[in-house]
Amino acid sequence: MAQFKAKMLDIGCFAHTRNIRDHTKRKVFAANEPERQALRYIIRNTTLPQRVRAQAQLQLSQMHCYTRFTQVKNRCIMGGKGRGVFSDFRLGRFQFRMNALAGELPGVRKASW
Amino acid sequence: MAVARERVLELMKTQCRVFNTTFNPNGVRMGSRILHERLKGDAVASYYPPRIGTIKQLRSLYPEHTVIDEKEEDWVEHLTIAKSRGKENPKKKRTAAESKKFSKKR
Repeated sequence: MAQFKAKMLDIGCFAHTRNIRDHTKRKVFAANEPERQALRYIIRNTTLPQRVRAQAQLQLSQMHCYTRFTQVKNRCIMGGKGRGVFSDFRLGRFQFRMNALAGELPGVRKASW
Repeated sequence: MAVARERVLELMKTQCRVFNTTFNPNGVRMGSRILHERLKGDAVASYYPPRIGTIKQLRSLYPEHTVIDEKEEDWVEHLTIAKSRGKENPKKKRTAAESKKFSKKR
């Protein structure tokens, strides 16, 4: 959403619109995580009054969708792909292959036996 | 020999005090599980590498040096040339009378 988007480009990798959007979501999630966890604690705590818990539920459900972790998606940092991304290398499968064959990923070598 | 329930509870209480956990003998759901979860926001937000080495950052880091931005220089040069040819942007209209777009010119 436009209200969260950075005014200037702030990622140094492949800057696809979807990568920028995902980065925005990550930042919003990080900023709102303590609040969400506090609300979740209130909701789960059965020793608190029912009214308070219901209010917390309402408040949590009314938070912006960008504050939710399920919105975050690992994308390839060199090609912007959203599918087939190795989370250890943050690369899509083809980018991973190209970089690994070029010897740019330390500790990765082509298997042969 | 069976141990009395009070004794066991006492032990649990002491255990909780020593290890700084919540004393909850009845297993009531208190949501402490959520308080024990680590915050992952920082790790999540640092997935994409930050943009570094921009002209603006260099200027703020090294104010004693003059950092030349070639793109900006080209742009300024283009503007000055356009201005010398009388092709600069029109002046901002300050009053209502000036801004009448379709007023008849005589």
